[in-house]
Amino acid sequence: MPSSDSDDFESADEGRSSPNKRERKKRLSSSNYSDNFESDHEPQKSEDQLSTKLKEATTLSNKLDNAEDGWDDFDIDNEAIETSKIVPEKTISALKPESKANTDEAQSGWDDFDDWGDNDNSDNIQDTQPEQPLNNQQQTSTAKHPDQPKSDGWGWGWGVDSILSTATAGISTLTTQVSQGISTVLETGIGAPDPEELAKKSVKTHESNPNSTESKPTESEEKKFEPSVNDSSFQFGNLLSGVTKFVESTGTKVIAGGLDTLETIGKKTMEVLQEGDPGLAKKKALLGLDTDKPVLSQVLREAKAKADEEDLMREAKREAKEVHYETLFDDYEGLVHLEALEMLSRQLRMRIDERLRAAPPDKRLDIKETLQQVAELCEMPEEDDEDEDEEQISEDMSKPDALHERLQRATRDIGLKLQFQPLIKQYTEILTWLESMDSDTTIKAIYKKSVSGLAQTTALSMELYHKTAEMLLVKNRRSTADEADALTQLTVVLTKHISELATQFTEKLSSHPSEDKEQVNNYITNVFLEAGNSSKYIENAFQLTLPIIQIGAV
Amino acid sequence: MVDPIFDYQFRLILIGDSTVGKSSLLKYFTDGKFAELSDPTVGVDFFARIIEVQDGTRIKLQLWDTAGQERFRSITKSYYRNSVGALLVYDVCNRSSFEHIPLWMMEAKRHIEPHRPVFALVGCKVDLVGTDNKNGARREVSCEEARMFAEENGLHHVETSAKTGQNVEQAFILVAQEVYNRIQTGEYKVEDGWDGIKTGFNRPNGMDFNLLEAETVQSTCC
Repeated sequence: MPSSDSDDFESADEGRSSPNKRERKKRLSSSNYSDNFESDHEPQKSEDQLSTKLKEATTLSNKLDNAEDGWDDFDIDNEAIETSKIVPEKTISALKPESKANTDEAQSGWDDFDDWGDNDNSDNIQDTQPEQPLNNQQQTSTAKHPDQPKSDGWGWGWGVDSILSTATAGISTLTTQVSQGISTVLETGIGAPDPEELAKKSVKTHESNPNSTESKPTESEEKKFEPSVNDSSFQFGNLLSGVTKFVESTGTKVIAGGLDTLETIGKKTMEVLQEGDPGLAKKKALLGLDTDKPVLSQVLREAKAKADEEDLMREAKREAKEVHYETLFDDYEGLVHLEALEMLSRQLRMRIDERLRAAPPDKRLDIKETLQQVAELCEMPEEDDEDEDEEQISEDMSKPDALHERLQRATRDIGLKLQFQPLIKQYTEILTWLESMDSDTTIKAIYKKSVSGLAQTTALSMELYHKTAEMLLVKNRRSTADEADALTQLTVVLTKHISELATQFTEKLSSHPSEDKEQVNNYITNVFLEAGNSSKYIENAFQLTLPIIQIGAV
Repeated sequence: MVDPIFDYQFRLILIGDSTVGKSSLLKYFTDGKFAELSDPTVGVDFFARIIEVQDGTRIKLQLWDTAGQERFRSITKSYYRNSVGALLVYDVCNRSSFEHIPLWMMEAKRHIEPHRPVFALVGCKVDLVGTDNKNGARREVSCEEARMFAEENGLHHVETSAKTGQNVEQAFILVAQEVYNRIQTGEYKVEDGWDGIKTGFNRPNGMDFNLLEAETVQSTCC
């Protein structure tokens, strides 16, 4: 994946230009790390009752070179990383010192084991056990330091061939894992290193590792010691199984510890990478590195669940629509009449403004005054203004007829033939429904009827205002004051009608023998709320007719 | 008046001379009925019907039936703006109603601007043509010349009868499909402040969810 990102190149160069400085820095910080690492692992060691020895060993630690030598493998890995980094020239500079630092950390962590093994192997058998995993490392080190007195250690150590191989296997596994882990980190984190290069290196590591004992100088050492080995190996033969076990467990620990380290390396690397590259998360998402591939069945299950949910939602929506005031209002074409009235009102307002602009300045004030007067005429009267007409309507008149009478009276001076029939018809229908109610009628049914009844009444009112406005505009002879008065009266009658409807519905609701009083109260509240809503729509429509009345006066 | 779920709402406007049969056409389309007698339209009336376009998308057609009478002309002009389609309606037995079509089209174009509506040329009352010449009904607009005019102006053309129902459905589906196609190609978009096209689920205030909750509560109680 050749990254064309020039930033990466630059930073990579930067990283290499001052490697020493960075190295030093990282070493400093990594020492903290290794401290932690040691302390983390201390309890484990003390379990083996070696803590004292260990401390001794640490102090004594002949910080010679065994650490370095013992970790040849790591160095190889390190090199491998570095080469792989250099070859594709894509790695982010931050990684280099970091990974190195982390390897260092691992190394220092491992110093203990080296030292520990060295010191103990001469003391007693118990203590020699830990030597085993280190022995193979030791062997390489001995290759470089043949002077070191290792004879007895080597003597039996070599003899316990199987132990050695197990240990070696353990270590090599570790190494392989380390190298794999690092390469994984590299691959997933950056996606940069050339896989071929990595593969080559790791193969090399594989080859060299299990055979680390066989590396040429070591081999010669071993051969030298061969004769003296046999006795001690017999001596400790019965301990073999125990030793093997220990080695195995140590190996496991080593691996576990190594993996922990790797995890830390990985995490740290990612942190550093992300710090240096804020867009990394995006890139990762883009490359699909993060997406854990879902199983087909899972996808299908989810799809089905989604479909079911949608069906349910659709059904629920359908259901909800039945009691949704705004939806019903729309369905009864209240909304579209209101919209049309708004359009008309807007256009008339513009026309009035035009006339105002076109008028000579001395007349402009007059026009403004007239407009203001009309607006005042169209103000809603106070609530407590009892209409005397009310009294004159005969008591024995049916409710719809009474409504019709009131509407007629309110608009008798408007000079138009208005259509009240739809409103009357709808009111009659509502009343019939309420009368035909029986004990089987649920509160929900009443509620539904209330909401739809209010919505329809309001919609019809919208139509009434809209039609009245249209007819006023085509009327030959305008009489502004009468029109204003008539529409004001009409609004009063309609809002009263709405509240009367609401009262009738809520009375039915509250007298319902339902157990669920809370729900009844909820419904009653909602009915009054929608009634308030209806009145607002009606008053709003009335105000929209204002420019239509005004234009007749100017 | 149950209103099922729909995906889009298109607002179409019907324009043309008075008495060409706009209201009858709409009445048949929405009710399936033909009214022998009907009052002249005052200002604008509304009709609605849900149809399906080819891919099954449900479209609510909100139809604005304008008054053809001259005296309402200044009013009806106010209603053009929010339309995504316009049906130019003429009477095949009324020559002048066809001759006024270019004027209606210009007027619509001017008022719907900046939006470019889908136009359809719809001839009405084809049932009066032909068999029964005693009534004095005579075709005054040939199908060919109407088609030619339609082609020149890039319109769809269809001849209908609100009495027999011939082609009534097609006239509206034609326009709806064309509007829908233009949505698909991205030419038309749902826009705030323009009601030509609306999405169906965009109910005012979107209170459905509140109500859903209320419903659930209720069902657990009872």
